[in-house]
Amino acid sequence: MDQIIYAIVSVKKQHKELNALLVELKGISGADLYDVFFDDVTAVVSNIHRNNVVASRPNIIEYAEVIETLSQNFTLLPVRFGSVMESTDVIIKMLGRNYAEIQSNLRKVENKVEFGLKVFCDPEKAGADTRATVSVSFSDENSPGGGHSVYRNYLDKKLQEHRMQERHLAQIDLVVQDITDTLAHLSPLHKFQKMVTAANIINDLLLLGKEKEHELIQAVETLQKKYGDLQLLLTGPWPPYNFVDFKII
Amino acid sequence: MPDNVIDQSKEITILEVLDRVLNKGVIITGDIVISVADIDLVYLGIKLMLSSVETMEQVKSGK
Repeated sequence: MDQIIYAIVSVKKQHKELNALLVELKGISGADLYDVFFDDVTAVVSNIHRNNVVASRPNIIEYAEVIETLSQNFTLLPVRFGSVMESTDVIIKMLGRNYAEIQSNLRKVENKVEFGLKVFCDPEKAGADTRATVSVSFSDENSPGGGHSVYRNYLDKKLQEHRMQERHLAQIDLVVQDITDTLAHLSPLHKFQKMVTAANIINDLLLLGKEKEHELIQAVETLQKKYGDLQLLLTGPWPPYNFVDFKII
Repeated sequence: MPDNVIDQSKEITILEVLDRVLNKGVIITGDIVISVADIDLVYLGIKLMLSSVETMEQVKSGK
């Protein structure tokens, strides 16, 4: 029987606690969960047939629930959905081969949680605001060959669009800088993307100590009040999915 | 809070879950197995799912 792996958990002297928790939980399709360990790292798995690893919404949510519940009690590395191995022995060998890297990543995320911050703007409103502040023209009716023409109108339009884009990006950079500065002391580890789409101007992922959750929420509330035209969406705490992005063999 | 805002927040949170479970986390090379069937996702979710399946395929082919 194949085994699907949900997470790799740091279990030092808490095997009893882990086993008690696993008895209460169910995996995909109600399957029992159990642990496969090598030294102090443990893979949490359930039996599954390869053909039944279906990316349906119920399966994914059940999978996420197992990881979420475990993460509330243990330091862990979430494993990507669909990671299936053919036997307990193969899993033990995999844990042994990658022990050092697993330990190194477990240390990185120990007692930490992940938060996601997305910042949205209304692109039409932002464009209108910028348009109101930008006015440029190549047209100069007094210059030789000046005055309005189809070509000059076209150039005016393009130049204006370019200036608006520049102004919009400059404004976003200011917001990005402000948000980065505000959150930097809470989370030295973060992954940042700007201008994901015209509306989603910032995607930030933060890894921070559990004790700083409340401080982060307050900081985001303050930023939301400061930038009333923007919509800030904070999600979390999550298990550290985005900070264990490595491959093991 | 209005109901539609709560519904919207729930939907966004589910999308965030799907994104993390399918696209993030430790990759065990060569052993990603996934089938796509009976998917009941919202529009954004379908796009997300397609991108995730592409990721799985890349992992499987070692790109």
